[in-house]
Amino acid sequence: MSMPTLLHMTAPSREDFDIPYHDIGPAHEAPRVALVAGLHGDELNGVFVLSRLASFLRRIAGGARPGAELRGRVIVVPAVNVLGVNVRSRAWPFDGTDVNRMFPGYASGETTQRIADAVLRLTLAARWRIDLHSSNADFEELPQVRLYQPSDEEREAARWLGLPAIVERPESATFAATLVSAWRTQGGRGLAIQAGHAGSLQSGHCERLFRALLDFLEAEGVLWGVRLAESEDSVHHFGPRQAFPVISEHAGWFVSRLKVGQWLRAGDRVGFVYDGFSGEQRAEAKTPVAGLLSGIRRQPLLCEGDLLARILTGDEVGEVAETYLMGHGQ
Amino acid sequence: MRIRRETFFSLELPYRERLALERTVFEGGPGPRVAIVSGVHGDELEGLYVCHRLAAWCEALEKTRPEALLGQIELYPALNPLGLDTLTRSVPIYGVDLNRCFPGHAEGLLPHRLAHGAIDALSGAALVVDIHASNVYLREIPQVRIARAFADRLVPLARGMNLDVIWVHEASTVLEHTIAHSLNAAGVPCLVVEMGVGMRVTPRFADQVVIGILHACRRLGVLAPDVELESATHAPLVAHDGNVHYVNAELSGLFVPDAAHWMAVGRGQRLGRIVSPLGGEALAEVRSPVEGLLFTLREYPLVYEGSLLARIMEVSR
Repeated sequence: MSMPTLLHMTAPSREDFDIPYHDIGPAHEAPRVALVAGLHGDELNGVFVLSRLASFLRRIAGGARPGAELRGRVIVVPAVNVLGVNVRSRAWPFDGTDVNRMFPGYASGETTQRIADAVLRLTLAARWRIDLHSSNADFEELPQVRLYQPSDEEREAARWLGLPAIVERPESATFAATLVSAWRTQGGRGLAIQAGHAGSLQSGHCERLFRALLDFLEAEGVLWGVRLAESEDSVHHFGPRQAFPVISEHAGWFVSRLKVGQWLRAGDRVGFVYDGFSGEQRAEAKTPVAGLLSGIRRQPLLCEGDLLARILTGDEVGEVAETYLMGHGQ
Repeated sequence: MRIRRETFFSLELPYRERLALERTVFEGGPGPRVAIVSGVHGDELEGLYVCHRLAAWCEALEKTRPEALLGQIELYPALNPLGLDTLTRSVPIYGVDLNRCFPGHAEGLLPHRLAHGAIDALSGAALVVDIHASNVYLREIPQVRIARAFADRLVPLARGMNLDVIWVHEASTVLEHTIAHSLNAAGVPCLVVEMGVGMRVTPRFADQVVIGILHACRRLGVLAPDVELESATHAPLVAHDGNVHYVNAELSGLFVPDAAHWMAVGRGQRLGRIVSPLGGEALAEVRSPVEGLLFTLREYPLVYEGSLLARIMEVSR
């Protein structure tokens, strides 16, 4: 199967490599939706889901599913950081740069600036763009839509995905160099999705993401006749000051039995911290606020100041949590 | 003169150890403080050697003229000790660039706490010099980089630093989270020095910068006006976004330079070739787009399309 390529590049000591993508649906139309994953090579949920979605959409476009139709053109880039996926690296492996800190990119610039420029040029023509991420390998995120100073239209479209949480986050100087930020700067509609953690596949999150993207394509009118069973999840919308980070002031081992998506009461246990050497319990970590557990630490080794959990609350609970974003995907 | 080696910030690691930030303080009179910072990136070692040379100079001063230290000289050689321990540019575990975490946060993640601890310690200094060593890919001539917003205050300070280039640039928003931006925005003058190459030490560059720092200390009143110093031997040229030209690789391969670092080059002069390790052919010739000085030259030979090979400051002969 011959695929269009986002970028073709020579390599120093091996075959040339491409960043391929899927272009599915009516070729004469402008793309309605562009879906991008794998800007970080170790965030596998998005890469897997988009490759499966591309296969599904192709079968529909080919008439393999009677009664279902693909009525619009969809661009699908399962992995931008191809080399990163192959060597399991978040960053572009050759020089360690983060592709999602290189936007809007520069066609004559450094390697990852060129990649960023090509991604942006490909996706700008689409009416809707969605960028899929996981957190890093240490922290699991509930599948959620993340919005950065969104328009009303983006707020509304975020609901089409049917994911359990829509979280508005503050825009920071760091995120000014991301794909989602570049989409907004260039004028257009864009959403970011976070689901699960890097380094492995979480099949439950993948299924939910797959369903969410089909729902989105149906709501946008791109897809017809494949609507799956209604999700039982209700969608909750949280503002930029409604994310509460539970931080550990102790180092050691962190052990938790909680699952993302649980609702917690103020004072509920989040987990235990044990001394790394003696094995003695050092602390019982509790959440001081009630809300939806949108993220939980999966890495047991804990430094002083590490993030244990993130709770999305009904109340405004404090400062803008930009400080706690670093190292957690996207 | 009092010499203190101390831990100014620490936090707990998962298994038994503490991560400690160390400094050496040469404390003379009540005059101004000058601080030297390095090791923000764990793969940059040139600044650590500068700290060593300054420590040696201060220790010698203590034996010969301790009263000549009117203020305080502080050395912070290793702000990212985990990175230095593991040959990692970023902060290990977190994978984030410490120099994108400033001014930090007392209740943030480890990199933000490190950043906050450093900013706290440096507050009130008359001058901070943040020494970087490019990266493992590029060799840089000793230079100071100044964001245009702070140029009026910093360029006069930088002129006497015995450096070869002062580069005044437009800062991107991402750079607002650097230690230099955070300090300058808070009113603490901070000069960013770039020199040499990652994972290596270039003693002649370090000695050049040490002379510049000591001259700055004397001008600021940290050292007595009559303290004897080696003469400054370098006067900086001023680079800006309009006269700096980038040369990027148009093909992937091995870059083999013909030109030497910091040499004058003519327009069209060959700087090197990109060759294939799989065959005998040269894939491309790399030529200078302008007449000027080659102040950045690629050190690491393997290149991808787009890899930076050189920067040339345009100057007319």
